[in-house]
Amino acid sequence: MKQNNIFTYTVIFSIFLLIGTIAAFSQEDIENVHDSAFKKLTRPAVAFFHDIHNDKAAIEECNVCHHMFEGKKRVEDDDSIGMECSECHYKEPVSSIPDLIRAYHLQCSGCHLKQKAGPVLCGECHRRE
Amino acid sequence: MMHEIFSFVRGPMVWIAFTVFTVGSLYRFISMWRLAKKKDSVVFNYFSFFYALRSIGHWIFPFAGVNMRKHPAMTVVAFLFHICLFVVPIFLSAHVIMFKESWNISWRWLPDPAADIMVMIVIVCCLFFWGRRIFLKEVRYLTSVSDYLILAAVAAPFISGLWAYHQWTAFSAVMIVHIISGEILLMIIPFTKLSHMLFFPFTRGYMGSEFGAVRHAKDW
Ligand code: HEC
Ligand code: HEC
Ligand code: HEC
Ligand code: HEC
Ligand code: HEM
Repeated sequence: MKQNNIFTYTVIFSIFLLIGTIAAFSQEDIENVHDSAFKKLTRPAVAFFHDIHNDKAAIEECNVCHHMFEGKKRVEDDDSIGMECSECHYKEPVSSIPDLIRAYHLQCSGCHLKQKAGPVLCGECHRRE
Repeated sequence: MMHEIFSFVRGPMVWIAFTVFTVGSLYRFISMWRLAKKKDSVVFNYFSFFYALRSIGHWIFPFAGVNMRKHPAMTVVAFLFHICLFVVPIFLSAHVIMFKESWNISWRWLPDPAADIMVMIVIVCCLFFWGRRIFLKEVRYLTSVSDYLILAAVAAPFISGLWAYHQWTAFSAVMIVHIISGEILLMIIPFTKLSHMLFFPFTRGYMGSEFGAVRHAKDW
């Protein structure tokens, strides 16, 4: 009986390990924006193929999006790669820092409007499949 | 191309729509005021806030008046319709989020599924009003083409909005149609029968004062 138990635990543990590894690897390719601050999405998730998007849009600098601030001053040669937007943008706006939804919308739609390329309507980003 | 149209209908066009609505409403108020002064200036002597409010009070609650008790179906539909009609555009998440993006102001919004149901209620009510005009002899008698057009103008932003929300097909085109139809609706309010929205408190207040202060009778 004891042997059997150890075997079962080992199998279960291996399965978890496998799923974990797959999940970790698939995280490499970002296909959706998913900010963990949105616990439950009320709109369909936004498809965003990170590297493909930035290639196609010819965005050179990472900190166009992953920007860094010192007080109100933008730090041109620094970035916030690895941080989620929600680490600095909250549910409600704080003085001149836009709230999280607005931060995403201004950054994404703002550039699309300016460049006259890319989606600008709710349903073009929040697509129901 | 899409971007140009969208920028226009979401930018300058919104300003135009709101301006026409506000200036048009003011104009209608002023000319109505002038007309009242000229035609029936005694109104200003017997106008009574007490009787005006008493009458308005009786007309804004369902079944508080005799006429409403006589037509229960119409009363229920009319109240549901008007509540949803005003609550949806003001408290819809999409609309509030656009205010937030543009002016950084926002307020609580309705959960989308609730708004969805309220929109369907408005559409069904429009169908009911439409049917009433077609099938009830005494109503058809009083109906002109413009009544149908106005009903269509009211229904249009709701039908296209529902369509866009569910992304049934041709999303971008329907979205543009929706925005334009909403703006047209806003602009025609002061100049059509829809102006009852603006004048309701005054016509009711006028009747209330006339019946209460002059004739000592009820007007509900
Ligand atoms: C168009 C805007 C944009 C640009 C440009 C951009 N990113 Fe991102 N990046 C995002 C968004 C949005 C996310 C997803 C955030 C989320 O889901 O929380 C993200 C996520 C990431 C993540 C993953 C973070 C995590 O928690 O998984 C990394 C790493 C990253 N970006 C690196 C880069 C690098 C390196 C560059 C420059 C070569 C770059 N990004 C350019 C918008 C951008
Ligand atoms: C290190 C913290 C930090 C991170 C991470 C961050 N932001 Fe910001 N962001 C700020 C601050 C601070 C401001 C306000 C600057 C000011 O006061 O004007 C700001 C301003 C903005 C603005 C408005 C003005 C502008 O300069 O563009 C937008 C839009 C925005 N952020 C979007 C985003 C998005 C989208 C992300 C995630 C990809 C993000 N931010 C990540 C700190 C951050
Ligand atoms: C600095 C400018 C810029 C920013 C910031 C930006 N985009 Fe874009 N985006 C573009 C351009 C340019 C295109 C059009 C690329 C093309 O198809 O040529 C585009 C296209 C897209 C597309 C369509 C992709 C396709 O293959 O058709 C999506 C979806 C998109 N963007 C989502 C986002 C999201 C989500 C964000 C915010 C996290 C964002 N974008 C931020 C410039 C930007
Ligand atoms: C350019 C792309 C884009 C457009 C256009 C856009 N959004 Fe978003 N929206 C985003 C991104 C990216 C997020 C962050 C989503 C996440 O982390 O899952 C977001 C987040 C949200 C959220 C909070 C997350 C949720 O699902 O509850 C809401 C609500 C929302 N958007 C509504 C709208 C509405 C309404 C419109 C139209 C007025 C709109 N969006 C237009 C990209 C877009
Ligand atoms: C200023 C003009 C207007 C603009 C820019 C506008 C814009 C929008 C947008 C972007 C959406 C979201 C669609 C989506 O979720 O994908 C929407 C939805 C909607 N709007 Fe408007 N709108 C306007 C006026 C109006 C007016 C005047 C009405 C009604 C009288 C209206 C009723 C609706 C409805 C019913 C929905 C769909 C909600 C649902 O089905 O749950 N809109 N609108």
